[in-house]
Amino acid sequence: MAHTQLAILLTSAALVIIGLYAAIFIDNIIKKIIGISFIEEGVNLFIVAIGYKAGGIVPILMPGMDTSWFASNAAYPLPFGLVLTSIVIGASTLAVMLALVMVLYKRYGTLSTKVMLADTSKQEEYDE
Amino acid sequence: MNELIPLMVIVPLMAALLISAFSKFNRSTKIFAFVVALCLPLIPILSNYGLHYFGGYEPMLDNVTGVMFHPAITYSFTFLQQVFIGAVGLLTFLVIFIYLTKYKEVSGPYLFLLFLGTAAVTAMILTDDIFHMFVFFEILALAQVGIVAASSIDYSYEMALKYMILGSIGSPMMLLGIGFLLALTGSVNITDIATAVHMGLIDATSPVFLLSLALIFFGWLYASGLPPFHTIKSGIYSKAEPHGAALLQSFTVMAMISIVLVMFRIYSTLPIFEVLIVFFSILAMILGVSLALTQTDFRRMIGFLAVGELGFIGLGIGLGTNFSLTAGLFQALNEILITALLFIGFGAIVNATNEVDTRKLGGLLAYHPKVSIMLLIGGLAMAGVPPLNGFQSKLMLVQASLSCGYPELSILAIMVSIATFVVFVKTYYTIFLKPKPNDLELENRDVPRSMVLVMGILLIIIVILGIFPDMVTNGISSFIGGIL
Repeated sequence: MAHTQLAILLTSAALVIIGLYAAIFIDNIIKKIIGISFIEEGVNLFIVAIGYKAGGIVPILMPGMDTSWFASNAAYPLPFGLVLTSIVIGASTLAVMLALVMVLYKRYGTLSTKVMLADTSKQEEYDE
Repeated sequence: MNELIPLMVIVPLMAALLISAFSKFNRSTKIFAFVVALCLPLIPILSNYGLHYFGGYEPMLDNVTGVMFHPAITYSFTFLQQVFIGAVGLLTFLVIFIYLTKYKEVSGPYLFLLFLGTAAVTAMILTDDIFHMFVFFEILALAQVGIVAASSIDYSYEMALKYMILGSIGSPMMLLGIGFLLALTGSVNITDIATAVHMGLIDATSPVFLLSLALIFFGWLYASGLPPFHTIKSGIYSKAEPHGAALLQSFTVMAMISIVLVMFRIYSTLPIFEVLIVFFSILAMILGVSLALTQTDFRRMIGFLAVGELGFIGLGIGLGTNFSLTAGLFQALNEILITALLFIGFGAIVNATNEVDTRKLGGLLAYHPKVSIMLLIGGLAMAGVPPLNGFQSKLMLVQASLSCGYPELSILAIMVSIATFVVFVKTYYTIFLKPKPNDLELENRDVPRSMVLVMGILLIIIVILGIFPDMVTNGISSFIGGIL
C-alpha cells in the first residue's frame, strides 16, 4: 500500500473517530452536527482512497491514448463518482438538520441538546 | 413491458417535483396528485417481470475472472417486487386520498414528501446496486423526517431532529460498509459482489468482510427501527399525522426487507449473520411488546407493536430456509397492511376526540361502531387470530422455527403473539368499552368518511389474504428459491 493511500486512510479513520466522539458526547447541537459532518467526510475520504493508484493518471481517456495502457495506469473512477453523490446527499442532510435546529433554537433559546431534545414524553408530562 | 420498470420510480419522483413546483394551483394539484397516486399501484400490475439496465449497458464477460459483471445500474422486477411495490403504491394512494379529502387547501411540500418516500422505497427494493440503494435510503430518511416535521403534533420537530441525528450516524456507517465491499470486490453491483463471495474470489472470513457486515448491519438496524433504534422509530410514528404514520411504517418495512435481502445474498455464507438477525429480532419482539404494554398514548403503543412485528419478519429471514424466508416476507406484507389500518383507525379516533391518552378515553363504541369493529379486526389480525392474514404468516413462522429445530423460538413467537393480543385488548377496552369519562368532550364526533372507506379497503385485503395466503406465498417462495 502506498504511503499516500495509507495517510489518507488514517486521516479518514481519525475524522470518523473525532466525529463520532463529537456526535455522541458533545452537548452543543451545532458541534454535534459538525461532528456528524466529520463522520460523513471521513467516509467520503475513505472511498476516495479506495480509488487511489500510486503514480496513476486521471481516469479520462484522451484521444490517441492506448486503451490497454490507460486501463493499467488510470485510477479507479467508480469511487470518485460515488463520493460525488455522497457529498450531495450529505449537504442536503446537513441543510435539513440545520433548518430544524434554527426552528428549535427560536423555540428554546438554547443550543443544548439536553434541553432541546429531552425525552419528549417527559416534556409532555411537564407541560401538563 | 420492461419499460415500465423504471417508471415505478420515475413517476412518483417526477410527480413529487412537479407538485412541489406548482402547488399554488390548489385544485390542479389535487387532481394531479390523485391521478398520479392512482397510477402507483397500477404500474407494477401492468409491468412484466424482468430486468432493466440503465443506459442499455447489459452484463459483460470479465476476461480475468471469467464471470459476468454488470456495468450499469440494474433494476430487477419479480413477483416479490410486484407485491410489495403494489402494496406500498396502494397505501400511498389511500393515504393521499385521505389527505386530499380531509383538507381544503393541500400542501405541495407535504405531497412532495409522500411521493418522494414512495419513490425511494420503490427504488430500494428494485435496485441491484448497493450504492444506488444507499442513495435512496438517504432520500427516504429525509422524506421520513419531513413527514414527521410537517405534522401539527407537539414536539414533532424535536423528534424529527433526533431521528435525523441518529440517521446521520447510521447512514455513514452503512456507506463505510459499502466502501469496504467496494474495496474488496471493485464493484457495487449486488449480484457481482454475491458472485465474488460465493465463487470464493474474496475471502469471506477476512476481517474487512466481517467489518463490512457489521457496518451495513448497523445501518439496517437504524433503517428498520430494531433495537437500539426501536424507541426513536416508535417516536416518529407517534409524532406524524396518522395517515403519514401509516405510510411511514410501510416505508420502514420496505427499507428493512430491501436491505436484509441484499445482506442475505452477500453474507448468507457466514453463520454469524443469521445469528445476529435472529438475536436482534427476538430483542425487537420482546422490547416492542413490553414497551407497548406500558404506553398510555395509543399512537406510541401501535408504534411499539409495529416494532415488535418487525421482529417476526427478522425471525423468518434469520432462520434462512425457503419456508422461513417466505413466512418472514409474507409477515412483512401483512404488517404493512395491518399497521396501516391501525394507524388510520386510531387516527380517526384522534380526529373525533382530539385525545390520545387512553386514560382519558372510553365508551367510544356507541359513537363510532364502524371504526371500532374494523379496529378490533385489525388488532386481532396483528395478534395472529384466525382466519386473518396475521395468523397465516405467524403460523408459518412457528412451523418454520419448528422445522429448523428451534422449538424455543416457536414458543417465544406464540408468547409474543399472546402478549400483543393482551396489549391490544387492554387498549381496546379502555378506548371503546370502558364507560365514557364525564370530562371527555366529543368536539367533532364525525370521523372522515374517507378514513372509514380506506379502513374498509384495507380490511377486505387483510381478510382475503387470510383466507387465500397462497395467492402471495407461492410467488414469494419461487423468488426465494431463486436467491437461495
